[in-house]
Amino acid sequence: MKRILSYLKPYWLLALLTPVTMVVEVLVDLMQPTLMSRIVDAGVLAGDMQVIISTGLTMLGLVVVGGLGGVGSAAFGSMASQRFGNDLRQAVFSRVMALSFQQTDTFTTGSLVTRLTNDCQMVQEMVNQVLRMFVRSFMLFAGGIIMALSLNVSFGLVLLVGLPLQLIILFIFLKKASPLFGKVQSRLDRVNSVVQENVTGARVVKAYVREDYEIDRFTQANEALVATNLKVQKLMSLMMPIMMIIMNFSVVAIIIIGGFQVEAQAMQVGQVMAAVTYVSQILMSMMMVAMMFQMVSRAMASAQRIVEVLETDPAVVSGGRALPGGGRGSVTFEHVSFHYPASSHRPVLVDIDLAIRPGENFAILGSTGSGKTSLVNLIPRFYDASEGTIRIDGEDVRDLTLSSLRARVGMVLQKSELFSGTIADNIRWGNSEATDDEVRQAARIAQAHDFIMGFSEGYDTVIGEKGSSLSGGQKQRLAIARAILKRPEILIFDDSTSALDLGTEARLQQALRQALKGTTVITIAQRVASVSNADRIAVLDHGRLAACGSHEELMASSDIYQDIYSSQMRKEAVNE
Amino acid sequence: MSNARPAPPRGPGGPGGHGGPRGMAMVREKPKDVKGTVKRLVRYIGSSRYLFFSLLAIMVFVTLLSLAAPALQGYAIDAITLKEGQLHVDFPRMASILTLLSAVYIASSLLTYLQGLFSAKLSQQTVRVMRGDLFEKIVHLPIRYLDTHPHGDIMSRMTNDVENISNTISQSIGSLFSGVLTLIGSVAIMLYYSPMLTLISFVTVILSALATLVMSKFMRKYFAAQQALLGQLNGQVEEMVTGYKTVVAFSREDTAKREFNETSNRLQDTAIRAQIFGGAMGPLMNVIGNFGFLLIAGFGGWFALTGAITIGTIQAFILYARQFTRPINEIANLYGQIQTALAGAERVFSILDHASERQEAAGTLDVAQVKGDLDFRHIYFGYVPGEPVLKDFNLTVKSGQKVAIVGATGSGKTTLVNLLTRLYDIDSGEILLDGQNIQDIPLSELRRSIAIVLQDTVLFSDTISANIRYGRLDARQDEVEAAAATANADHFIAQLPREYQTQLSESGGNLSQGQRQLLSIARAVLADPKILILDEATSSVDTRTEMHIQQAMVALMAGRTSLIIAHRLSTIRDADNIVVIENGRVAEMGNHDQLLSAKGCYWRLYQNQFAGIAT
Repeated sequence: MKRILSYLKPYWLLALLTPVTMVVEVLVDLMQPTLMSRIVDAGVLAGDMQVIISTGLTMLGLVVVGGLGGVGSAAFGSMASQRFGNDLRQAVFSRVMALSFQQTDTFTTGSLVTRLTNDCQMVQEMVNQVLRMFVRSFMLFAGGIIMALSLNVSFGLVLLVGLPLQLIILFIFLKKASPLFGKVQSRLDRVNSVVQENVTGARVVKAYVREDYEIDRFTQANEALVATNLKVQKLMSLMMPIMMIIMNFSVVAIIIIGGFQVEAQAMQVGQVMAAVTYVSQILMSMMMVAMMFQMVSRAMASAQRIVEVLETDPAVVSGGRALPGGGRGSVTFEHVSFHYPASSHRPVLVDIDLAIRPGENFAILGSTGSGKTSLVNLIPRFYDASEGTIRIDGEDVRDLTLSSLRARVGMVLQKSELFSGTIADNIRWGNSEATDDEVRQAARIAQAHDFIMGFSEGYDTVIGEKGSSLSGGQKQRLAIARAILKRPEILIFDDSTSALDLGTEARLQQALRQALKGTTVITIAQRVASVSNADRIAVLDHGRLAACGSHEELMASSDIYQDIYSSQMRKEAVNE
Repeated sequence: MSNARPAPPRGPGGPGGHGGPRGMAMVREKPKDVKGTVKRLVRYIGSSRYLFFSLLAIMVFVTLLSLAAPALQGYAIDAITLKEGQLHVDFPRMASILTLLSAVYIASSLLTYLQGLFSAKLSQQTVRVMRGDLFEKIVHLPIRYLDTHPHGDIMSRMTNDVENISNTISQSIGSLFSGVLTLIGSVAIMLYYSPMLTLISFVTVILSALATLVMSKFMRKYFAAQQALLGQLNGQVEEMVTGYKTVVAFSREDTAKREFNETSNRLQDTAIRAQIFGGAMGPLMNVIGNFGFLLIAGFGGWFALTGAITIGTIQAFILYARQFTRPINEIANLYGQIQTALAGAERVFSILDHASERQEAAGTLDVAQVKGDLDFRHIYFGYVPGEPVLKDFNLTVKSGQKVAIVGATGSGKTTLVNLLTRLYDIDSGEILLDGQNIQDIPLSELRRSIAIVLQDTVLFSDTISANIRYGRLDARQDEVEAAAATANADHFIAQLPREYQTQLSESGGNLSQGQRQLLSIARAVLADPKILILDEATSSVDTRTEMHIQQAMVALMAGRTSLIIAHRLSTIRDADNIVVIENGRVAEMGNHDQLLSAKGCYWRLYQNQFAGIAT
């Protein structure tokens, strides 16, 4: 919490002005009943127009001042809280952008998004509320008690009974309700997930004619949600009347006590009326303070989640030296082992020794889960090796600045992620300064130019949500064009042609071979056909380097390679 | 529909238009047809009309009691009277009034409780029915609708919009009704006391209305801008965080931060403005209210001096005048909420109004008797008018045949599947199943005779068993396990902590892509249909695993009409008939050997795949 609040420090003056101006408003609020009763008692009842007008104008003036105070505190409060929230949000975002993949994996992307949006919003709203309402209700509460007691100490008796009673009731209800709030949330999640599944999986639902089954499933989730919601609302609709009755009986008690006091000549009638007003004010503000506590406790949970992000130090720290220019793009793995920190200690890569030569066309083959992707992810330091060293042009990657390292390494990911914007914008991710010609050239090499020109807007076609208006193959080709435009010394294709049909893939291979002369190309693939013309092929098996060599060498020496090969090609193919 | 995406999905393969929930991109909108929307909402509420009218009746009593309580309080204090120059309390009188007051308080608390209970029931009841209707509609919507509308938007109608309606019903109806009652009551009493003063106090009403009008115009502008920026910010966060790997791979962190900070700053500025206007509303109303009080006191005093009214009248008048400005403020505050809820209701109704898939048909089909002869005759079809995907497509498949469909991306392979299962309807031509036009077969019967295994596996957050049983709901556990064994899924299931009872996380995230595919194959095995469609069913399984599946698939395809769409030639080589689609037509047809010797497009594809080895 301290850490979060430190973001409020730059705005301490605004934050301070909020309750100060609020005091003006509350003071006017507290004075208003007195002035009104003066207008009634000394003006209207006495038939004195002079008093009505003069007191009236005073009151109006005060109300305007109070109103200005109110507007001021709203303005200062929102300035302080919004600026605080903005700084916090930017700090969290900037920290997220510095996390390593294993850290974002642990948080999960969904939770990071919620932390950045809902949680930040929640904390910001809390600061605003505390600055404005907390102070206000506390002043009304304390002021009311002082005023009531100053009228007559015997009224304290009513408060002594009423306040703790209200506190106890509040405590009981909140305690009962808070687990229900969580339950409502999870029931709502369930409803949402059934809907989500049906929207995304509609094809399967329809194909198996399971509409009625799904409606049943939904009805169950819906009924459960409604039942829990009703439970909460029933509880809440019981709480309000109970609180009200305590308040109302306190008023009755005040009138009775007031009656005796008046009878004993210790008090005026007007004072009894004032006491009634103050006591209801005290009990009201108590309820408000209680609601505030609930909000603060919820915001605390959000603050905790934000602090978790802020206090996660980036696991991959940039090295000190820039990668010297003019490198040729060799990649060396020395005794590299790797396991994901989260998943027990099952090793993903074990003692890999591998030297990829500059300009080499290198391929990595292996079954699902053999560690191919993990291996290449170590090169641009998406993850750091658990043991061993990776060198680019002889330099340990951990000694290099991340920006210089990643500028040299291009990567086409397994899942092509596109961003909102035009097609040209997306390709320009590779090089924001590229000319239109360069963009087109990259698209041509990636076999994307033709389908792009098929759109009426061409390169200026706006891509829908995450490229949802494009087919899988089209997305992959745009991702490839993006990486080509970057012109890196080392270019990695992580199984990034799986959605391409064979003809397109073949043309792509050919164009790449011509365009990327001198570039070290590392290709991960499942199809032997995609890799068989590589200079060398590494075969991974359960995280170990099983074999490495040219297609012919592997055919002659590696059992695993032969096995994979024959599973894909069968004997007839060899005979062709 | 304002939010229909202009560009329809190019590749109709896979469940095209999926994108995460769109966050809070929803801007506060104005409803277009207020009257019609309100009418339909009323009809929803009308389904629990006894509840509704009991609620209204309770509210009448609650309002009456709340009008009576202050008066009784006053009487109680009036029991303190000046007698012989000294204050004296008439205790017996006070006691009886206080007893009555206590009774009023207790009754009003009880009724308030009932009011809360009934309005909760009413809103939950209404929303339950509405959510149910909406879901039933979503399930029966044509695929075309889901393919062309952002899923996040549909989701948001189910959650945000329905939730808004629920809150509005439970909060607004009560406040609105009791507000109006209080207003009418106070005005009536005020008129009774003094028509003249009532007229004067209307100045307050006019001033408040004017202030609300002017302020809400500014507020709406800034709040709308704030909502839009919030939506934009959330969109940016989601995009950058989910696409984080690419952001890092291209060292775009700084650009992302810069763009985020820009939006964030703009949001800050707009939000401050919106909140200042919002915060000014209360004090402004307070000033107007006090001005009104002053007018009444001033004119009242003057009238009293001239003897037109009594002093007691002024006192009562002041009390009720305060009571009658309160509901005006409340109704003004509710206005925005009601607008949002109506706009939401309109969005919900627009889905409900969309035509469902046509279920009924002229003919019938006995699923058990289906032979599986398929005939595509002169099919023309395009997702967008004027952009045909299939042009005069003809194909005959005999019962029990294995047909492989090959062609470039976007050539229309998956489209065939969409048409056969009537996820989309053809523009012209006809598809015959056992000689009967599929348009004449009831949708459910048609689909029951076909099983599909898709490239993008769809699993549900349920147990492994339930996911396989999706193929046939009444299957016994041993049948489920036998199907899993046929699909070679039994090995990995046995290694899971709770085997067949293992709970899958949403969309099966805790399984590998290959394992998920095996489950969806097991599901098709269990369904045991006459016609089987494999749409890139094994593309995400590595080749060694595929070999295992292949054996299962051979067993599965025996005796069934099978359509196989695949990239890998190893998957299609054994087909009885291979169909090559090009430009929306059948370009070539025959078995593997025939097509190779023809040296046509299939041969070229084949050469491409084995280029590295053959040369």
